Amino acid sequence: MTDSALSTQHAALLEDLFRRQAARIVAALTRYLGPQHLALAEDALQETFITALRSWSYRGVPDNPPAWLMTVARNKALDVVRRERELLVKQGELAREAELHARAGELEQAVEWLDDDLRDDQLRMIFTCCHPALAREAQVALTLKLLCGLGVPEIARAFLVPESTIAQRLVRAVPFGVPDAAELPARLDAVLDVLYLLFNEGYSAHRGDDLVRPDLCAEAIRLASILAAHPAGARPKVHALLALMLLHASRLPARTDARGNLLLLEEQDRARWDRRLILAGLRELSRAAAGDEVSAYHLQAGIAACHAVAPDYAATNWRQILSSYDDLLALEPSPVVALNRAVALAMVAGPEAGIAELERVGAMPGMQSYYLLHMTAGEFFRRTGDIRRALEHYRRAERLPATAPERRFLARRLAECAARDG
Amino acid sequence: MAQYMLLIRGGEPFQEEYSPEQFQRLIQPYIDWSNKLRAEGRSRGGEEIAAGGRTLRVRDGSFVVDGPYAETKEDIGGFFIIQAADEDEAIEVAKDCPTFHRGGFIELRAINEH
Repeated sequence: MTDSALSTQHAALLEDLFRRQAARIVAALTRYLGPQHLALAEDALQETFITALRSWSYRGVPDNPPAWLMTVARNKALDVVRRERELLVKQGELAREAELHARAGELEQAVEWLDDDLRDDQLRMIFTCCHPALAREAQVALTLKLLCGLGVPEIARAFLVPESTIAQRLVRAVPFGVPDAAELPARLDAVLDVLYLLFNEGYSAHRGDDLVRPDLCAEAIRLASILAAHPAGARPKVHALLALMLLHASRLPARTDARGNLLLLEEQDRARWDRRLILAGLRELSRAAAGDEVSAYHLQAGIAACHAVAPDYAATNWRQILSSYDDLLALEPSPVVALNRAVALAMVAGPEAGIAELERVGAMPGMQSYYLLHMTAGEFFRRTGDIRRALEHYRRAERLPATAPERRFLARRLAECAARDG
Repeated sequence: MAQYMLLIRGGEPFQEEYSPEQFQRLIQPYIDWSNKLRAEGRSRGGEEIAAGGRTLRVRDGSFVVDGPYAETKEDIGGFFIIQAADEDEAIEVAKDCPTFHRGGFIELRAINEH
């Protein structure tokens, strides 16, 4: 192997090493120490990384970095536990000291510690994070922290809330218990919900300057893949969610232009869609078809698949998409789904039909202050040639919260319409 | 060709509260640098040195164990041994060490080969 190939390999190896290993290490340590000792596991993780920084700086990266980190993490955890036990003895907390002593013994004797496959631990951790006593925001925050290795400031940035809010959510989230096998099915829906939120946050960050956070999408896909590959999670709706994520992710490379500007589906260069992800998504969708269950994820994945296989925007199977939106609306009535359905309707029955439908959607709660409602209305009027009314709606959209790339898109439309309105 | 010892001294200590991303960002320059040394065939190894330490002296015929003396901010963090044609070349190689970005400095010593 040439030196440069070796160096590329090193860079690729380290690209996500710390983040990936953080999730594995915390999940593995928590298996032995119990989730009530999460703080100790996190202390051990930090000490492990400090040690890696210092040692690797001089000796270079070891041959098998994950194994090196796991071994050091166990030793660090035993150190951390020893210090904690000394503290408990001093405080006279002998029962707690004895419990921790037993936990440490299990960790010390753990024979399968170096197993490279710790996916079960991470899966257990996902279900742990989705404890029913926790609010959905706390479940998501905890998943990001423990499974995606994001720090408190990064989670706060992803959700544009103060760091103290995230810290509070996390504090309230501990203590929670690891569910036993019987509890898993009841938590599956919450787990899917959290993964879906995580993906959406990455796919269309509603806040901030970045239109997409591909890292969050990749994490959601990684965790959903672990879930779908596990007997506890290999259910049709899990495959459907994974299909949905893969199919949407296939469009990520084409969603923005070189300057980070938003491109609509009809403007995207379909040659830039990731064929590999489309194929993986379609494969998951066919797995999702086993059984009678039709979840909202099935319907959304079906819609995404129609787009993925269409040669262009006009030649898309809009009738099929409209019918899926009808089913979705019946299953989970929501103004945002109704808005999306209106887009499909406009493609099947013309922009006038879309405009009439938007009147109804616009009367639904909260929709008048929703940027995309006015954006869509603007597009429909533009297509009918009624530039004056299109401008009216684009201007209303302009006054509502949107990301920086969305604002640039809107500015482009306003300029085009103003020129035609002349 | 001669061998030189690069003693890495001082520099900001690594903080415990870093996120995985920060760890990765911090370690990458060191890894790139040591990879480069190896790729150029200059590397003769390196080790991290624990903080603190002891000094041993004989005073009035008996051992006195003492120390450490170096101020923490000038403590030795570790060393590299490199191969270079002469001192000028060794200095050029040492200039790329990422420790300078963390407020550290390098003491360069030639290893005598008589």
